[in-house]
Amino acid sequence: MIAIGGISVSFGGVTALNKVSAIFNDAIVGIIGPNGAGKTTLLNVFSGFVEPDSGHIEIFGANLLAMAPYKRARWGLRRSFQTEQIVDDLSVGDNLRVVLDSLPDRKRRGNVEIAEALQFVGLLEKAGILAGTLNVFERRMVEIARTLVGSPKLVLLDEPGAGLRRQETEMLARMIREIHDRFGAVTLLIDHDVSLIAATCMSALVLDFGERIALGPTFEVLNDPRVKAAYLGVEDAA
Amino acid sequence: MGAYGIFLVAGLAVGAIYALSGIGLVVLYRSTGILNLAYGALGAMGAMVAWQLEQWNYPEPAAWAAAILLATALSLAYGLLAAPLLAYREPVVKAVATLGYALIILGIANYFWVEAPRRLSLFTDQMGFSLLGLRITGTRALAFLATLAATFGIAVFLKWTRVGLLMRALADRRDLSSMLGVSVLRVETFAWLFSGILAGFSGLMFGDLVRPNPAALTFLVIPAIAAAIVGRLQSLPMTLAGGLLLGVIESMTTLIKPIAPYRTAAPFIVAALILLWLQRKRRLTFVGND
Amino acid sequence: MTDDALRDKNGGMAVAPSFRLQRWRVLVAVVAVALAIVIVPLFLNALWLRILISSVIFTIAATGTAVLYARLGLVSLAQVALVGVGGWVTLRMWHATGLPFEINALVGAFAAGVVGTLIGLPALRMRGLYLALITLMAAAGFQILVTGTQFPNGGTGVLGAAVNSVFMPRPFLGRSDTAMLRYVCVIAVLAYALIEANRRGHSGRAWALIRKSEACAMAAGVNVAFYKAWGFALSGFVAGLAGGLLAGTIGVLDATTFPASESVLLFALTVVGGAYNWIGQIMTGLLFRAAPAFLNDIGVDGNLAYVIFGAGLLHAIITAPNGIAGQMLDLVARWTSPSVKR
Repeated sequence: MIAIGGISVSFGGVTALNKVSAIFNDAIVGIIGPNGAGKTTLLNVFSGFVEPDSGHIEIFGANLLAMAPYKRARWGLRRSFQTEQIVDDLSVGDNLRVVLDSLPDRKRRGNVEIAEALQFVGLLEKAGILAGTLNVFERRMVEIARTLVGSPKLVLLDEPGAGLRRQETEMLARMIREIHDRFGAVTLLIDHDVSLIAATCMSALVLDFGERIALGPTFEVLNDPRVKAAYLGVEDAA
Repeated sequence: MGAYGIFLVAGLAVGAIYALSGIGLVVLYRSTGILNLAYGALGAMGAMVAWQLEQWNYPEPAAWAAAILLATALSLAYGLLAAPLLAYREPVVKAVATLGYALIILGIANYFWVEAPRRLSLFTDQMGFSLLGLRITGTRALAFLATLAATFGIAVFLKWTRVGLLMRALADRRDLSSMLGVSVLRVETFAWLFSGILAGFSGLMFGDLVRPNPAALTFLVIPAIAAAIVGRLQSLPMTLAGGLLLGVIESMTTLIKPIAPYRTAAPFIVAALILLWLQRKRRLTFVGND
Repeated sequence: MTDDALRDKNGGMAVAPSFRLQRWRVLVAVVAVALAIVIVPLFLNALWLRILISSVIFTIAATGTAVLYARLGLVSLAQVALVGVGGWVTLRMWHATGLPFEINALVGAFAAGVVGTLIGLPALRMRGLYLALITLMAAAGFQILVTGTQFPNGGTGVLGAAVNSVFMPRPFLGRSDTAMLRYVCVIAVLAYALIEANRRGHSGRAWALIRKSEACAMAAGVNVAFYKAWGFALSGFVAGLAGGLLAGTIGVLDATTFPASESVLLFALTVVGGAYNWIGQIMTGLLFRAAPAFLNDIGVDGNLAYVIFGAGLLHAIITAPNGIAGQMLDLVARWTSPSVKR
């Protein structure tokens, strides 16, 4: 269970998030909203890149904001980025191994977990290859595989579907749906592809101008008139 | 007053030029993203040429003109020829490239002017006046006043003129500015021109107040950098304050016998303290735009 | 990762340096270096022996600068100052304790590692530019400091500097110049091995991710501040080692060997030689010490070396980021593996 309470963030004069609160109980939760709504900012608060002006986050009983940012990964927080951050000069396997390096008893778990994660995304045979030789989709997959090693508890995916073709998006959706069963982690997913959200998330949080405007089962949320208004503009609603 | 007064005045004069150099560095950095580590070398070249012209008995205005024009020309040359080739690299890479330029200029200067004791005298050395019982030479007064005038003038310029506004836009968001049609080239050229003039003037002043020696003058970029760091590479008033402070600290510690030989390490200590203080508040760096 | 993992769908070896080819290349390199270490010293005259010893010593220092620049993208302009720190501590240790050279040099190396880390601390959480600036200032500060304190040479007190120098003797294995050249070469190999071991382990992985994105590194659990500091420490350590060797070769050190401009030059030549490959560091050492001597031999003013090196740095930064070594290796690669896709 994830409890977000009253998170507010402002940069200079701009309010990025305004007292956002939500409770998530599902295995996969979507965060949607127009550009600039504050979705990535919210993930950045989770990751520790941004300190909220107020508010708290509790995940499975742990106080996330009290942990130093780099220690959150040790606890089980994982994050993918809008622009994938794969190191070209390391092998695919080593890109994943970095995460394990910071965990205790890394030598025992290492190779097995890496193999599992790579097999999950379909890249096991490329484990020893330099990541710089992969294509865009494969790099995206490595980025996702990196979120799945080392007993993840919460996986944050920031627009993993951006720029993918329909087939690739479907593969991605299948993978996301299996994360909880295979790796035991809850997934928070940001994406603009509504069909991806609908295909994977049980519930969704909708942000607009830094405020929560809807939270609930995905189907209901996507049909909520306020949500439609946010995406399409007030004049076109109703 | 006495001894304290003398060292204070000397410190304020040198500190003023530290500040002036620092300001030249900051203005250039904010407009182009380049911290010009060859700044001191530009001034050094100018000062050595001025010294040489004096040795050859040219009239003094020629020496002044040569110093400032040469430094400006060298500055523009880099800005127009080399800098564009590195336009999209990170700040540290751009700075390292200017190091290459500094080495080239220093090598040439050292080649023509072998290490030897020299004096650069300017007409302002003969002038002077008394203030509060202290004798202040014209050169020192010029250094101090020129710095104050420059700081004030630049601040006004940035705030009130069109080019100044464009420079501020570039400093803020270079990529957006160029998309909005700000003539990046024009503004940058102006910045290189301007900082070149300041470098030439600073070189002349340092050549007179310190000594005209290529290596020494080139590495006077270090206190200038320290002053710029006090200004967080953005604030002109703070750079001014930083430079003056450094100059005074350096000068006054001559009076403290045990640490006197080490007083020129002051820039490092001041800059290190400022950085430590700055990063106490800093969280961390973000992806990409650092 | 087994070799099977490297095979692509058609059963052929996948693109990019395959494991087997790398092992072969390493073996060749090791044999070549070993042969060079044994044979080359026999062909050199007294002057060039000294010059090469100096070159290898600064190759060791350059491996430190290179690891910071190539792996972490950090610019250190204080490396020669750290060599000076190592040399100072080594000399002080010997004069105070009379312990064997190796112990004194190791203490010197540790001291330089600590100082290197301390210098980097103010800039740890700041942009890379600030690190370059603070190291430049530290190098200038060291120049001032050591000009005042001078190097230990048998005097009394903490600073141990006296008017008449007592020379520290050579290490037992380096009594003659030929032996000393081999000695420093072996140390160079060990220093390189130390850095390589770090690069292939968790430090190297952490550094690579930090270099790509500090934020992403943090999100992956990497303690960014620690690994950056560790980079400074390692880099300082090898610099200190070089300093100890320098002190051990000459017996005394002089402040005029350690101006800030030398640190700047060493960095410039690290980039020009090629920071990403060990051959590059050998080039750096040669350019730093052998090239100026060679220029002198043929009657060219030493100051022109600065001009050439400055131009070389500009060129390397603008067009050839992998330096001379990188360009050479590119050529070799193209000749030996025409089938490698680029």
